[in-house]
Amino acid sequence: MKRSIFIALLAVTSLRMMAQNNNAPYSQLGLGDLEDGYYNRTSGLANTGIAYRSNRFLINNNPASFSGLTDQYYTMEIGLRGQYISYAGTQVNVGATESADITFRKLVLGIKLSHHWGSSVGLLPYSTQNYEFAVPYNLVGTTVQIANHYYQGHGSVNRAYWANSYEFFHHLSIGVDASYIFGQLNQNDIIQATANGATLVSTTNNTNLQNLYFTYGMQLYGRLGRNLNYSLGATYSMKAALLAASTKLVLNNDSVTLQNIQNDEGYLYLPQALGLGFALTDKQKYTFVADYRYQNWNGVAAQNKYPGQAYNIASSERGSIGFEISKKKTFYNTRVELSYLQTGLYYENSYLQINGKQIKDYGVTAGFGVNSLKSPLSYSVIFQYGVKGTTQNDLIRQNYADVTFVLNFGAIWYTKGKKFD
Amino acid sequence: MTIIHHYLRKELLILLSFIVTLFFLAGCEKQPNLGQFGNSNVSDNGSANIVVVDSSTIDLSTVYVDSTATAATGYLMVGTYNDAYLGQISSQAYLQVRPPASLPPLDPQLDTYDSIGMVLYFRKSNPYYGDTTLTPTFVVNQVDTLYQLPNYATGWFSNQSLPLGPDLGSTSVSIAPNLPYTSQNAGDTVKIRMDDALGQQLYNMIYNKSDTMTTLTTFLNWFNGLCISPGAGSQGVIYGFKDSSLMRIYYRSNTGGVSVTKTIDFTLYNRASQWNHITNNRAGSPLANLATPVSVTQPPPLTPSNLTGSASYVDNIIGLTTKMTFPFLNSISQRPDYVGLLRAQLTVIPLAGSFNTTWTLPPQLGIYSSDLHNTLLAPVFSTASSAVQTGGLIPNYFAPLLNSYNYDVTNFVANQIVNNTQGSNQVGIMLSIPSPANLSSFRRLAIADQSFPTQQRVILSVYYISLYPHQ
Repeated sequence: MKRSIFIALLAVTSLRMMAQNNNAPYSQLGLGDLEDGYYNRTSGLANTGIAYRSNRFLINNNPASFSGLTDQYYTMEIGLRGQYISYAGTQVNVGATESADITFRKLVLGIKLSHHWGSSVGLLPYSTQNYEFAVPYNLVGTTVQIANHYYQGHGSVNRAYWANSYEFFHHLSIGVDASYIFGQLNQNDIIQATANGATLVSTTNNTNLQNLYFTYGMQLYGRLGRNLNYSLGATYSMKAALLAASTKLVLNNDSVTLQNIQNDEGYLYLPQALGLGFALTDKQKYTFVADYRYQNWNGVAAQNKYPGQAYNIASSERGSIGFEISKKKTFYNTRVELSYLQTGLYYENSYLQINGKQIKDYGVTAGFGVNSLKSPLSYSVIFQYGVKGTTQNDLIRQNYADVTFVLNFGAIWYTKGKKFD
Repeated sequence: MTIIHHYLRKELLILLSFIVTLFFLAGCEKQPNLGQFGNSNVSDNGSANIVVVDSSTIDLSTVYVDSTATAATGYLMVGTYNDAYLGQISSQAYLQVRPPASLPPLDPQLDTYDSIGMVLYFRKSNPYYGDTTLTPTFVVNQVDTLYQLPNYATGWFSNQSLPLGPDLGSTSVSIAPNLPYTSQNAGDTVKIRMDDALGQQLYNMIYNKSDTMTTLTTFLNWFNGLCISPGAGSQGVIYGFKDSSLMRIYYRSNTGGVSVTKTIDFTLYNRASQWNHITNNRAGSPLANLATPVSVTQPPPLTPSNLTGSASYVDNIIGLTTKMTFPFLNSISQRPDYVGLLRAQLTVIPLAGSFNTTWTLPPQLGIYSSDLHNTLLAPVFSTASSAVQTGGLIPNYFAPLLNSYNYDVTNFVANQIVNNTQGSNQVGIMLSIPSPANLSSFRRLAIADQSFPTQQRVILSVYYISLYPHQ
């Protein structure tokens, strides 16, 4: 019964994600807002985890991490995020400057298939698009009659992945993440009468995207002295061409179809991406992590013909650091983690350059997690505060505060309920 | 780690509380208004647009029918005026009267004939047109022939008239139509004293209970009828008197030693046989070149506006309506970006200077479809209503250019814009005053053609949905 309630709540959450999302003005450009969060154990560390390894949690930051799972262990994680955004800028109507939403962010499963082989499958967001604008304009052919362009966009590009990693020599793990990128971006351009808001004509552009996308990962880890553990990590993604099939549907004011056009298929390219990170853990309690990620959007800018006017695609960078305190206890010679505290900082130059300004995103995170001793569940709550964009050059600044909830379920498989480490 | 697989109620409670709290917090907020951000950053994704074309060629013509059904309108239209655009217009009212159903007993010892006259009523809402400050003259004549329809005629029309006998009486009177009040100081009544010889004759026939008076057919064949006409030199205005007007014999009766005035009324015999004969002398006016039919079977001819003072005209009662054709309308649908019609609006602006508080505009102007035979067909309905459109004029005589009749012609244009059949460029729109005012009032509308500046002429605005195929 309780499980049913929980599932129902998740379903409602998913529906809500579709019904009302935060307005993301920059998501109308390019592929939308690229997702840089993983909604996992590293979220409280500002999503810093290329070198992070865990025996219980699924670290999607690096596909090489799954070999770190406990033997014969399987686990599942879901993530839920609530986000509040305050908008500022000369373009923002002072009468309505805030919004909030709650969205289901991920579902992933992982399993340790053998002593050295960890595997994970799941569904993660790659980018999302959600925006709406009302732009008054003069009807073509007149200088006195005004209508309203109401632009609305929504959709998402998702990533269904299967990642495997294998440990070599007890200090090296190599992983491959094979993702199937798929999704649909919908853009509506509705021309409305200014007097009563009635729809005069609407154009819906749907773009379906799909292709495979591979990410390779490596982690090198070991001990430094008696108390220190280190880990170095790297990820690399190859350039990939997303097959883009788009349609254009034009409806008149009576919703009668005037045009339904299947455009020629084309390609949108995802760039090469590189990530580097390291982690340092002292006495299995204090962990410091740092990451650097780079996406070479400049390398695909010429091939990508995104619609739009006053913006460019530029290579993006992201740097982040995090610090974690883990509270552990020994039960029958086994160190069991009871809870943990995390904090992190991040700074990003995004792939959008608008009005001569590259959009920046920076902020701070704090997380708290509890591993239940009486159930196979683990809960973590992550708070994030960040700033995206600027009010300069007629742009919009978003001050956002996120609360993310990650639920982890883990158990032993094939052992009739007995657990060993 | 643990192997205990029992979910604790407390953990579930915490989990659910957290999720519900997130929902609550998210639900408290509304979506922001990011206003103009899209102005400079909006995606140029080749969306459909709305294009307004208000430069379509409109050919204006005046369509003339040589007769209008002016019988049984309820009004005796009498008068004459000189219209600067239409020429001289005159109207006579023909009617038949009947004696009272029961004749009063007359005693030659007590009753004495006094007089006879026409009594015309001008009520407050009665139609009139022209300069009411002038004093017209009204003349009464008796019809000098049988009051009957010509062969093959089915009713009385404006171009029909009957021979008249000598004048029976006349009067010159000014009328203040909005009060209304006449210069005869008799309220809204105009009285025309008629020939006493006729009055005495009728009085005697009543006294004698003559068969002519007691048998209606005999009376009608003997008396024929009456005609009220504008007198010679009368000018300025046409008034519409109620058809309850009557011919009245006045006599005096000695009642108890007191002389009392009594009357015998001859009321309208039959509304259907009352009609108004209208003439229009167009010589010297912009309508001098108006094409008129040369045979009875000919469709109503039209005269292009360039032959009638760069304007077309509407005045239904004298047979004038305006036809508009749009010879190049279907070229819009052949534009490469045309994907569909959104709406179309017709704005009819009266000719500047052609109207004022004297020469007022028709308050309602109907819009109808018309074929290549210049026939008035079904009304052009708006997309929002099946009611006949009448233009919605809000008269403003202090700002003439603000006066306009406006129509939703989306339905018409939707058909016509894709009509490539032969003769399609002669299918058009007819502007006509809706019934019953079309035949019961004189109100002239002059419409400027496209030789006038944009703000002063008729305009068809076509709003179409545009999508460029290369995007």
